[in-house]
Amino acid sequence: MKFLHERLPNGLDVIAEVTDTALSTSIGFFVKTGARDETDAEWGVSHFLEHMVFKGTHDLSADEINRRFDWMGASANAFTSEEDTVYHAAVLPEQQLEVTALLARMMRPALREEDFDTEKLVILEEIRMYDDQPPFGADDRCRATFFGRHPLARGVLGTVESIERMPVEAMCDYHRRRYSPANIVLCATGAVDFKALVASARQWCGDWEPIAIPPRRAPLDAQTTGSATLECITRPTSTLEYAVRMSRGPAGDDDDRFAAKLLAAILGDTSGSRLYWAMVDTGRAEQASCHHQDFLDAGLFATQLSCDPEDAGELLAMIDTIYRQAAEQGLDRREVEQNRNKLAGRWVLLGERPRRRLFDVGPEWAHSGDYRSVADDLRKIEGLSLDDVHRVLARWPLHGTGATVLAGPLPLDPSLEPASEAQ
Amino acid sequence: MKQTLHSATLDNGIILLGEDLPGLESVAVAFHTPAGAIHDGPGRCGLATLSGEMMLRGAGDRTSREIVEVLEGSGIQWAQSVSTSHSSFAGAMVARQLPTALPIYADILRRPSLPDDELDNALQMVLQNLAGTEDDPAHRAMSALRQLHYPHPLGMPSEGISADVEAIGIDDVRSFVAAHVVPREMIIAVAGRIDWNDFVERVSALFGDWQTDDPSTVPILSRGERVRHVSHDSQQTHIALAWSVPPYRHDDSYEASAALSVLGGGSSSRLFSEVRERRGLCYSVSAGYHTLRDCASAICYSGTSAARAQETLDVMLAEIDRLPGTIEEAELDRVKSRAKSALVMQQESSAARAAWIARQWYHLGTVRSLADELARYDRLNVASVEGWLAENRPAGLTIVSLGKEPLEVPREVSA
Repeated sequence: MKFLHERLPNGLDVIAEVTDTALSTSIGFFVKTGARDETDAEWGVSHFLEHMVFKGTHDLSADEINRRFDWMGASANAFTSEEDTVYHAAVLPEQQLEVTALLARMMRPALREEDFDTEKLVILEEIRMYDDQPPFGADDRCRATFFGRHPLARGVLGTVESIERMPVEAMCDYHRRRYSPANIVLCATGAVDFKALVASARQWCGDWEPIAIPPRRAPLDAQTTGSATLECITRPTSTLEYAVRMSRGPAGDDDDRFAAKLLAAILGDTSGSRLYWAMVDTGRAEQASCHHQDFLDAGLFATQLSCDPEDAGELLAMIDTIYRQAAEQGLDRREVEQNRNKLAGRWVLLGERPRRRLFDVGPEWAHSGDYRSVADDLRKIEGLSLDDVHRVLARWPLHGTGATVLAGPLPLDPSLEPASEAQ
Repeated sequence: MKQTLHSATLDNGIILLGEDLPGLESVAVAFHTPAGAIHDGPGRCGLATLSGEMMLRGAGDRTSREIVEVLEGSGIQWAQSVSTSHSSFAGAMVARQLPTALPIYADILRRPSLPDDELDNALQMVLQNLAGTEDDPAHRAMSALRQLHYPHPLGMPSEGISADVEAIGIDDVRSFVAAHVVPREMIIAVAGRIDWNDFVERVSALFGDWQTDDPSTVPILSRGERVRHVSHDSQQTHIALAWSVPPYRHDDSYEASAALSVLGGGSSSRLFSEVRERRGLCYSVSAGYHTLRDCASAICYSGTSAARAQETLDVMLAEIDRLPGTIEEAELDRVKSRAKSALVMQQESSAARAAWIARQWYHLGTVRSLADELARYDRLNVASVEGWLAENRPAGLTIVSLGKEPLEVPREVSA
């Protein structure tokens, strides 16, 4: 495996992790823009724009784009998050030139009003689809409360109202500001011809006009994220009660993020963790899990619970006790070792799939301008000690703090209020 | 592309399959026992799933917790699942861990403790999972479709039915495991960085002396109604359609799955273009091929807001009706490219290949080489696909809608 990088004069970064034995080539355009970069009037525009990019350019129709991807046998898609909009395709190596050209051309979409109005209906269907599914908006509401006035408070899809109100001009303006070449990374993994990749980038992206991008980092407001809060979304016909809880953790530029992932695995991985044995193995909960998520300037531990509505209060208290015991009594050396091996094994398996590596290499470069090989990450994981995990627990305790949102048949019940000792 | 496939059969009937995947560091192994949900029995829907869960709750001299600790502590990613035909246990790992993994799986399969005091927890876990599926409208629509469409008990939900699961006792589980987790018809598939001779030696030592009665067969009954509305309090209405097509082992299955892919397989497919791209009726719409060993179906799905559900169903039915006689060469070329490209890329995942070669053996009694498989796609042409469609026009549709209001279904469609 080798890593290669070149920057075009207009600021577009072209990077590749080349694996000689790979059978496929994955190409992605990672645009450093997402929900956090929107204003109130633009809420949902990043994701809506991601759909519109597939609607064609001035000389490519939507049908033509869809036909070309299928003709290449490409596995192509896109997604939008709080911080990134990603367009990606995996193909056999002989299609590298063709797929790179197609994706590159799509980055300069026509944004026709007629397409915009039709696609608006699709976006509204997507919002309704998620609204009908667990956790019934509890995740978005929890993020909004947890982040308060921070830009990461904004949900990715927007709302029915913000989408209905949005004019096509707002999207054109957003695209002009955010899809500047210096704000985009062209990343490739697998069997990559890097010289050809750079040549493609020059041919299709070389004339993109650079626009200055404002800085994205914003400090977290300690007041809005430090206290324990509880909210309820009532869904009378839901069978289970769903809970999402968020508390602070290390950010993406903090070296402790690796130890934070190990801690989350020990406490709340979907199997073999403390939450698993206490609640899932015993059939008390359908799901009880914890994971660590990091952003440019913030990090969080997200706990998810789904269970019989009448058990929700007791199980939330039990989760808090499990977190408190971990902080007060410490963790066991053996469970640290077991979970370290588990994460390392997972990493090796993911690392040998170039189609999956694209989503490690691309965002890492987009966020930090760094490249980390699978071996770099493995060394980091294997070097983690009990002390590292204890330090994370001390810096970011998970108990007695954070935002909790319930969604399900339960009305808001005062007995579910979090313990008043929360700081 | 050079490909190395292996197979062997133990005296007790266990089939061993292997594929070398050069360039990978990992190995994936999968044990498929013939203890699928088809054997659940009347009033016991979910027995196979509960039994699979119980088999992990103590085996050999290890407790439930010790099994998970040793697997995960060795960096082994384990999985357990139950389908209509099989109860499966799988693991993916760095190649050097395979000798650690195999004896644990041998304990789970041959010496499960099935302890009385774990039954209640396992049962509650299965019930929790079932309660979760109640809140997933798309899952409910598809599950209702399979139940209606396939002859009984082939369409029964492998995850179970709550009332049935609650009635299952430890004796049911013990009898089920004894009768159906057996070597005859069991498939053990391995793929990745393998040493085939060493693998056969180890598996023979662990499983070679396992002798039991042969597995039983289940009578297949007829099917019932074809149109159903499931009432559900949701903003969207979910539409699921099915009709019968030949199973994978028939030579015609390539024509059938290609026709379905033209209809709803990619983003340039008929359904995606017409229902989503041109009319903006929905976020998701698709058509696909779903096969069991002896029967298969075309399955179409869409979810859309209640006010536009009738139009969505009408357009889907019109596109299905329009398919025979209108397939273009360019459309078929795209379908072939997608299928061939997916097959080649699958070689990058040891777990995907271990699952694939086992599936081929189950359906065909052999594993087709990649070259053979690719050649079958190359041989497809408009005349062969249209020829098949002319003789097998979509008919006798099973139609399920799930949402606030039922939809109108033209009578001739489901007749």
